[in-house]
Amino acid sequence: MADAKSKKIAGMIGFTLIKAVIAVVMFLPIIWILTGGFKTVAEFTTSGSVLPQNPTLENFEYIFYHSNLLGYTRNTVILMLGTTIGTLLSSALVAYPLARMEFRGKKLVFSIIVATMLIPNIALIIPQYIMFGKIGWLDSLLPMIVPSWFAYPYNVFMMRQFFRTIPRELDEAAEIDGCSSLGILFRILVPISRPTFVTIGVLSCVFWWNELTQPVFYINSDTWRTLTIALMTSFMYTSSNTFVISWPTIMAAATLMILPPMLLYLFGSKYLIGGIKTGGLKG
Amino acid sequence: MKAAAKSANKPGSRRLSRNRAAYAYLCPWIIGFTCFTLFPILFMFYTSLTNRKLNGLSEFIGFTNYVNMFKSETFLNSLKVTILFSVCMVIVDTVWAIVLALLLNQKRKGNGFFQFFYFLPTVIPSVAISYAFRTIFGKDAGLLNSMLSALLGRTVSVNWLYDSGTVYPAVFFVTLFTYGTGQMMLIYRSALGDVPKELYEAYDMDGGNAFGKFFHVTLPMISPIVLFNTLNGAISALNGLFGILYPLTGESGNPNGMTQVLSLLVYKEAFSNLKVGYACALSVVLFLLAALFGAVIFRASKNTVHYEY
Repeated sequence: MADAKSKKIAGMIGFTLIKAVIAVVMFLPIIWILTGGFKTVAEFTTSGSVLPQNPTLENFEYIFYHSNLLGYTRNTVILMLGTTIGTLLSSALVAYPLARMEFRGKKLVFSIIVATMLIPNIALIIPQYIMFGKIGWLDSLLPMIVPSWFAYPYNVFMMRQFFRTIPRELDEAAEIDGCSSLGILFRILVPISRPTFVTIGVLSCVFWWNELTQPVFYINSDTWRTLTIALMTSFMYTSSNTFVISWPTIMAAATLMILPPMLLYLFGSKYLIGGIKTGGLKG
Repeated sequence: MKAAAKSANKPGSRRLSRNRAAYAYLCPWIIGFTCFTLFPILFMFYTSLTNRKLNGLSEFIGFTNYVNMFKSETFLNSLKVTILFSVCMVIVDTVWAIVLALLLNQKRKGNGFFQFFYFLPTVIPSVAISYAFRTIFGKDAGLLNSMLSALLGRTVSVNWLYDSGTVYPAVFFVTLFTYGTGQMMLIYRSALGDVPKELYEAYDMDGGNAFGKFFHVTLPMISPIVLFNTLNGAISALNGLFGILYPLTGESGNPNGMTQVLSLLVYKEAFSNLKVGYACALSVVLFLLAALFGAVIFRASKNTVHYEY
């Protein structure tokens, strides 16, 4: 008996130790970024220690006073909100008939939506680039914001799945009370689906805050750079006629960049776990 | 059939207005699908048959791009690298996500605390993660080399991302920090919580060990979710790797193209070599590869996946 108990305790300590080691490893890049911003260029390129030996604020000063940080942040926020609001609204509209109405061609529409979920974005980015070039949208945020207002298949799928778990009796009761179909969507389904909407909203915000690929293809000028491209292109300095990457400045900028998604996750974590669950309606 | 019989009872005009209402709601998707998906697909196939340049000059050249493509060492290498990433990396990431989910599934205090540490690094921008690892894996002042030097008591100076022997483990390790992997961990954790407790109890009564329990109870129960996420992982490997590898190993996929997945090659051909027609031919390959993965995984799932859920 006692043996089994001590074995159990040993197992518990072992598990916790493994979990703690993984936690440290997973957090290492974040710690490296957070401390890197306080190092000097000389230190960053010669010493491999985590903690800065002579902490300096010059990297942050450079970012605030000599770079277009405010502009990059503004662009990123416009991109993030523009796409997220668009996709929430349009995906809800499209998911609604797929979850609630019988109509001709429903199966076909749903199959196409599922199939398009599988198309990697990058496969279509060159033809889209040419297309957006023709209508003069290159070097702006439009190639990314406008398509979000026309429903993302993945979000449509997620919302449809959740709408289907809501009892139809609620719709029917509302219909008897004279509620229009649009009213059913926005007064019944959307409020009940709040966790799903928060989940999709947070995921979308984090996705676009972090997105590098599409801005790299579509944006050229400094005016419309998002933070992610700025991190790759804006913190170089010239040294004996070659471009050198100023790593500590990058780490300082990355420090400011990684905080918002982490905060968004903390805010949304309650919903994120609940929203991902396939489960139904409680209470 | 039942639905058809039901709607047949309704007056025809009502059915028509139902259809009309449904398609009114579908409008955003119909426009979006036509303009941003269907048209670009058709245009991509057409452009792949031209020698279009970035400045827009274009001439129909038939299948020349495809012929050149399959003669090109760079392309064949890139295709190999892409498949390697889509298979090996997805397996590494999936196993990692399941292991983390299992660790967090133990009924212990502090799981929320650990989940915070496991998930948080995956929500930050991939470009920040890539740049952190470019310096952590760096040769001269990299964190890994200095840690190994201190541990082994001699100077270690491996250029992890530029050495052909270490580049794959290093890059795969970086992909553990991607959004997709963190997402998978959360999904698996939620799936594990949904496995009925009675099944475990039944298995315990038959005297099974922890490994048997995982392979005989847990894995069959979560297999539909594993399938969905593997599929997603393979597709997002085609798509999302650009955001990690472009800042990590560059458009040429250092060292020697060992990490030059197709998306990087598409970018390089279109914007550095200005060959947009050729880049479209490459995109067609990417597109077909995604279709192939989808078909393969759905086919394979028929026998192995337990849908009684």
